[in-house]
Amino acid sequence: MLELIGVKKTYGGPARPTPVLRGVTFAVEAGAFCALVGPSGSGKSTLMNIAGLLDRPTAGAVRLDGETIEDASAAEAAKIRNRGIGFVFQSFNLLPRLSAWENVALPLLYGRVPRSERRPAALAMLDQVGLGERADHRPAELSGGEQQRVALARALIRKPRLILADEPTGSLDSVTAGEVMALLRDLNGRLDVTILMVTHDHDLARRCDRRIDLLDGRIVADSAAA
Amino acid sequence: MSASLRATPSLSLAESLAEAFANLYAQRERSALALLGILIGTASIVAMLTIGHMAGLETLKLFRHLGADMLQIHAMPAGDAPAGVLDRDLIERLPATDFAVLAAAPLVVDHDTVSAGTASADLGVAAVTANLPRLISLRVSQGRFIAPIDDDNLVAVVGDQAAQRLSAPGAPLIPGSKVGLKGYEFTVVGVLGSMPYTALDPMDINNAVLIPLAGARRIFNPPNPTTALVHLRPEANVKAAGQRISAALANPTATLQVVSARDLIRGMSAQKALHSQLLTAVGAISLLVGGIGVMNVMLMGVMERRREIGLRAAMGATPGDLQLMFLVEAGSLAFVGGLIGLACGLGAAFVTARAAGWSFRVALWVLPLGPGVAALVGVAFGLYPAVKASRLSPIEALRAE
Repeated sequence: MLELIGVKKTYGGPARPTPVLRGVTFAVEAGAFCALVGPSGSGKSTLMNIAGLLDRPTAGAVRLDGETIEDASAAEAAKIRNRGIGFVFQSFNLLPRLSAWENVALPLLYGRVPRSERRPAALAMLDQVGLGERADHRPAELSGGEQQRVALARALIRKPRLILADEPTGSLDSVTAGEVMALLRDLNGRLDVTILMVTHDHDLARRCDRRIDLLDGRIVADSAAA
Repeated sequence: MSASLRATPSLSLAESLAEAFANLYAQRERSALALLGILIGTASIVAMLTIGHMAGLETLKLFRHLGADMLQIHAMPAGDAPAGVLDRDLIERLPATDFAVLAAAPLVVDHDTVSAGTASADLGVAAVTANLPRLISLRVSQGRFIAPIDDDNLVAVVGDQAAQRLSAPGAPLIPGSKVGLKGYEFTVVGVLGSMPYTALDPMDINNAVLIPLAGARRIFNPPNPTTALVHLRPEANVKAAGQRISAALANPTATLQVVSARDLIRGMSAQKALHSQLLTAVGAISLLVGGIGVMNVMLMGVMERRREIGLRAAMGATPGDLQLMFLVEAGSLAFVGGLIGLACGLGAAFVTARAAGWSFRVALWVLPLGPGVAALVGVAFGLYPAVKASRLSPIEALRAE
C-alpha cells in the first residue's frame, strides 16, 4: 500500500549537497507492522517525512494505494494526510490548550466533519485506546503513556490506512512503552491499519512483522527480503 | 482525486471565530496590549465623527435661529469720540434705500442694575424698536412685545431668565409689574419665553430688559443706536451688501464693524474642520501603530506556535486553513479593540457635548464604521503573519522547540 521507489533526498545547495537518502526502495503491504531501525543521521526521519507528504523527495516516486503522491500541491498533500495518514510523534504533540477529546477531534476539523459529529467520534476513539474516562482532561493532567494514547486516538480518528509513528515510545519508561507498543499491535490487528514505526529499540523492533535497517541513507537489511 | 479535493469547502466562519477567540484568550495579556493601539485609534475616529456630526447639527440650529442672511453692524468709537454711534433714521430707512435689505433694526446694548420690588439684578439692557421680532426669532410668553405706540413710554419687555431673577417669592414678575432702572420706573408689558443664546446674537436676550429706543435718551448717553441688525434678501451678496451698508451708515464718530452670520458660521466650520483633521490624524496614526502592534503580536504568535502550526499541517490543515486561522485571529483582536474603542469614542463625544452645551447625538452610520475599520486594519496587518504561518515547512515547524 505504501511504495517508495528510488527515493533520494539531498539537503543544501548544489554547491555543497548533503545527501540524506541515497535511493531507497521498499514497499509496505497493507496491514503490515513494519519497524524502521537505524542510528541517528541514517535518514529515518527524512524517510518518514517523505512517506507522510511533509517533505518532498529530490528524486524517486512515492505511491500510496497505488497513487503517485510525491508531486501533490501543498493543499492536496494536506488533504491526503488528513484522509489517509495518521501521525504519532515521540513528543506526543498534543495542543496543551485543548482537552483530550478536542485534541483527538482536531483532524476532524480539517476534514470538515460537522461540529456535532466530532465529540461522539472522538469519545468513541478514546474508548478504543482505553481513555474514555479521561476525555475532558488536558494533556498536562495526563501521564506520558496516556498522552501518547490520546495522540494515537488522534492519529486513528480519520480511519487512515497508514500510521507513521516516529519513535512513539521514545519519551516513555519501559513499562509504559511496552503498554503503548501492545496497544499499537492490538490496533494494527483490530483496525487493519498499516503501521510504519521508527525505533531505536531492538526489543520493540523484534515485536514487529518486519524490520528495515537504514544506514547512511540506504537500506542495509530488510527482514522481508531475507 | 484532485477534483474532489478542490471541492472541499473552507472552514466555517463560526468555527474559525471560536478557535480564534480561544487562542487570543490563551495569550490574553499580549492580546490586550495589541488591542490598546486599535482601541485608541478607533476611539479618536469615532469621537471625531460624532463630534463633527453634533457640531454640524449645532451649526444648523444657529442657521435656523438667526438665519444666514443676517448682518450685524457694530459702531466702535473712532478717534477722540467718546462712543461710536449710528443714525437711527438711516438704519430704519435701509430697506427703502438698499435693494438687498429686507428689514433693519437699530439697537442700543448696555447693562445695568435693574430692580423690581425687593429684588435686583445686573442685567443686559437693550433699547430696541418694535420691528426686532422681524429680525430675531422672539417668543412672547406673557403680555406683548414693544409696539410702535410705546415709543416714548416707560414700558419694558423682560427676558425669561431676567424675569425669574427679578421675581420675589409670592411676587412674580408679570406684565403690569414695575421695574426700576436708572431712577426711572418702567411698566412691564411682556415677558419673553426662553430661547437659545448663540454666538450670533447681539446679546443674551434671556438675561435682558428691553425698552423702546425712543426712551433710550433718558438712560443712555449718547442715546443713539450702537448696533444695527440687518436682514438681507436670501439671494443678496452678503459681502457687497455689508460694504454698501457700512458706507451708508458711516459717520465720523464710529468705525464700523460688519459681522455676518455666514462669516461666523464659516469661522466655526473652519475651526471644526481643523479639529476634525487633527483627530483624524491622531486616529489614523493610532490605527497604524495599533495595526503594527497586531502584526507584532501575530508574528510572535506564529514563531511561538510553530510546533502547533506544524502539527495542524500534519493533521491535514491546508495552507489556506492556516492563513484563515491567523487572519481571523488578527481580525477578531482588532474588532474587539474597535468595539471598546467605539464605546470610548462615544464616551469622549458625550463629554465634549456636555462641555459645549450641545445635545448628544450619534450618527448611526458611525456605529458599524469604527469596529469595521478596526477589523479591516487587523486583517490587513494580519496578512503578513498569516502568509508566513502558511509557508512554514511542517517538518521545520514540528522540529521547533
